[in-house]
Amino acid sequence: MSAAKPTADAEDVIVIENLNKWYGNFHVLRDINLRVKKGERIVICGPSGSGKSTTIRCINRLEEFQEGSLVVDGVEMIDDVKNIETIRKDVGMVFQHFNLFPHLTILENLTLGPIWVQKKPKAEAEATAMKYLERVKIPDQADKYPGQLSGGQQQRVAIARSLCMNPNIMLFDEPTSALDPEMIKEVLDVMVELAEEGMTMLCVTHEMGFAKKVADRVIFMDAGQIVEENEPNEFFNNPQNERTKLFLSQILNH
Amino acid sequence: MKEFEPVPARPAPDKTVGPLAWMKENLFSSLLNSLVTLAVMALLVYYIPPVLDWAFFSANWQGTSEDACVREGACWVFVNAWSYQFFYGTYPVEEIWRINLMLVLLALVILASFTLPKHIRLKASVIAWLVLPLVGIALLDGRLLGLPVVSTDLWGGFTLNVFMAAASIIVAFPFSFLWALGRRSNMPFIRSVSVIFIEFFRGVPVLSLFFMGSVMLPLFFAEGTNVDKLIRVWIVLIFFMSGYMAEVFRGGFAAVPSGQYEAADSIGLSYWQKIMLIILPQVIKVSLPNILATFVMLFKNTTFLLIIGIPEVVQTLQTALSNSYWLGGHALEGYLFVFLVFWSSCFSMSLLARRIERQMNTDKRD
Ligand SMILES: Nc1ncnc2c1ncn2[C@@H]1O[C@H](COP(=O)(O)OP(=O)(O)OP(=O)(O)O)[C@@H](O)[C@H]1O
Ligand SMILES: [Mg+2]
Repeated sequence: MSAAKPTADAEDVIVIENLNKWYGNFHVLRDINLRVKKGERIVICGPSGSGKSTTIRCINRLEEFQEGSLVVDGVEMIDDVKNIETIRKDVGMVFQHFNLFPHLTILENLTLGPIWVQKKPKAEAEATAMKYLERVKIPDQADKYPGQLSGGQQQRVAIARSLCMNPNIMLFDEPTSALDPEMIKEVLDVMVELAEEGMTMLCVTHEMGFAKKVADRVIFMDAGQIVEENEPNEFFNNPQNERTKLFLSQILNH
Repeated sequence: MKEFEPVPARPAPDKTVGPLAWMKENLFSSLLNSLVTLAVMALLVYYIPPVLDWAFFSANWQGTSEDACVREGACWVFVNAWSYQFFYGTYPVEEIWRINLMLVLLALVILASFTLPKHIRLKASVIAWLVLPLVGIALLDGRLLGLPVVSTDLWGGFTLNVFMAAASIIVAFPFSFLWALGRRSNMPFIRSVSVIFIEFFRGVPVLSLFFMGSVMLPLFFAEGTNVDKLIRVWIVLIFFMSGYMAEVFRGGFAAVPSGQYEAADSIGLSYWQKIMLIILPQVIKVSLPNILATFVMLFKNTTFLLIIGIPEVVQTLQTALSNSYWLGGHALEGYLFVFLVFWSSCFSMSLLARRIERQMNTDKRD
């Protein structure tokens, strides 16, 4: 861990400094520096294997890293179990493949965290869960099992499940890339709404329409590094780096 | 604008369905196939009638003693006269309700684990299964419930096989889960201990374990304590079983996608919450057919207990065969009976396993 603590800026909820990570000998993340302010919406894009998932998975410690420092909401990510738990309670995550718990009903999926982690009474947890299910527009599915829902519905449940934990930061790892085209919109709508309410969001996605609409900043990664970051207009219309240009031409003109 | 009109479905051509088509396809599809079919039919015609005659038409059904077996067929009188011992060993007749009650409880718990409403099924059945062996011991022994004490020397017969197998698998269940978990652990020490344990008990014949149990286990108990023979055997069976079931669970673990662990981590569950609430239920579900298969194996292996003089069903049969009032040589009838009892229990368990598997496949989406 680097010794120098990042200078505290009250606004910064995520501060990543010189983060380096290796899988064995493979240097997967190289000198990542990133600051995220409260309420900021960040979209991360880049070619496959560039380290996007690995980066955001470091933020809630689904992955360990070997060098650098990472501070979330003022809590430094170190090997201490307590710190990891604190950070995980603060950060919600939505996965590409939803990862709902198949043996639990939708309602139970949503109340599991509040009941077991936050020790809320069952009734209160269920009330909160229903509130969020209404927000993602599927309160009528509460008693079904995940396998009985469409992909788009499952992903909305997954978002609701994270929101039930009342996180300050939401991480999305390609939330729409396992979905059929008709379902992408219903998930993006929920995410746009969330963004408009001021949630701090880091989203790995190739939905450029979404990026243009809600992102404050777009980050382009390649080969484990941040190649370019800019506000969306500049990023799309006036990319500075040749690599970015090439990538954009590939994904926008297919 | 053109409108899409689906073509109505038509029945399949006659030549491909129905019993005749089936026979043609499966029994007489080629010259060789036809010859084999005919040969098998001839053998059946030749052998089946005498077997039927021996087992049913010329068999002796009525009577209570050797003298009743006058016809040349099977002497089912023998099996009938000893059926009590075959099932209950030497358990006192007036206390037999305790064994029957226990069998009913066992059946109820099995039934409950498959039929209770889904949301309470797992919790309720886990509790029921864990309480069952305690109830069983209390009931069969009687001491704790203020009933007349029935010493374990008197327990025996087929019900002893059932109870030994059931009591072992239940206790082995949590242990084997822990071993399987240990085998996946990141900590080298825990991992190697688990691997050594699992592979030892899977790689050693159960018979040698029984002998070792009688010789070695007493060394671990305080001097002077005389640990019941059945308890020693029980412990051996538990170790044996947990080695096997750990491997079954390992397969179950492999079937749970890593995303489940990540999702559990990301909502902040602790390690044990994650294991107990998210992973265990899914592992049990996918492992159920294999757990049943392992149980069938254990159940059959309980007949080896006769080697160390425990009066399980085969041992009881041998006692009966050497009884001086029944020296007519009824081994065939006796063993057929034991086969039939084991086969029907094991076969119904396989059917159950197959049903669960099918059910699992159809409600993959749930
Ligand atoms: N557990 C692992 N062990 C070894 N290498 C890994 C592991 N996980 C990921 N990698 C490698 O690390 C690199 C970055 O992976 P990552 O999943 O972060 O990429 P990504 O940008 O999210 O790509 P995608 O768009 O395909 O999801 C890839 O080259 C991948 O092969
Ligand atoms: Mg990825």
